[in-house]
Amino acid sequence: MDKVEYTEEELWLIEPKPGTAAARARDFGVDLSLTVGNLRLSPEERIKQLDRYLESLKNLRRNLRWISRASERAA
Amino acid sequence: MSDVAQQVRLLNDFSVQCVLIGGFAAFLQGASTLTRDLDICYSREDENLVRVVEALRSVNAALRGAPKEIKFVLDAQTLKRGLNFTFVTDIGDFDLFGEVPGVGDYSECLRYSDEAEIIGGNYRVLSLEKIISAKEAAGRPKDLLALPELRAILETRRRNKRTT
Repeated sequence: MDKVEYTEEELWLIEPKPGTAAARARDFGVDLSLTVGNLRLSPEERIKQLDRYLESLKNLRRNLRWISRASERAA
Repeated sequence: MSDVAQQVRLLNDFSVQCVLIGGFAAFLQGASTLTRDLDICYSREDENLVRVVEALRSVNAALRGAPKEIKFVLDAQTLKRGLNFTFVTDIGDFDLFGEVPGVGDYSECLRYSDEAEIIGGNYRVLSLEKIISAKEAAGRPKDLLALPELRAILETRRRNKRTT
């Protein structure tokens, strides 16, 4: 599997130095690799990606069939 | 096209003078958090209020979260009497702000906005610095959760500016 290559600028978010806002975000639990992925896109491309994601979520929800639910099993 | 993209296009179709703010603006500025509603800060000039009303009527806007007994007439006079409104529409939730905490009114938002060409139009998007100010001022848990990523993006952007 290929490994994602990061630019020097992107590495400031991927491997943040201690005391930086990026380090605080990482320690807070933010997945900054997602941020880098988003920053690589133009605003227009971000919207298209959002469209595709929301559409796939809608389809997923439409096709969702629960086989069993924990709350029913517990009852 | 997603609800948010349709809402953005609606603003352009009706030539609404506004600045994109909130979660969608943060998303456009690079945040990875997704959003499903659109927040705007709108000009309260009379002509613009008419355009806002026409745009909202075209998507059957209704006041969101208001008690049933409250009678709401969507017209320019009503917008003039109020300031901030939350609507549900045929194309999703739509929030209008006359003033943004931590930033100010439309003219202030415009002053601190970036221009973006998206979905076939040019839009004003609140700057990352001011999105952070707004979220700090709002101080709700969901705003505070977004802050670490936004600050990291701003820091990286400033650093890259210095080195290029």
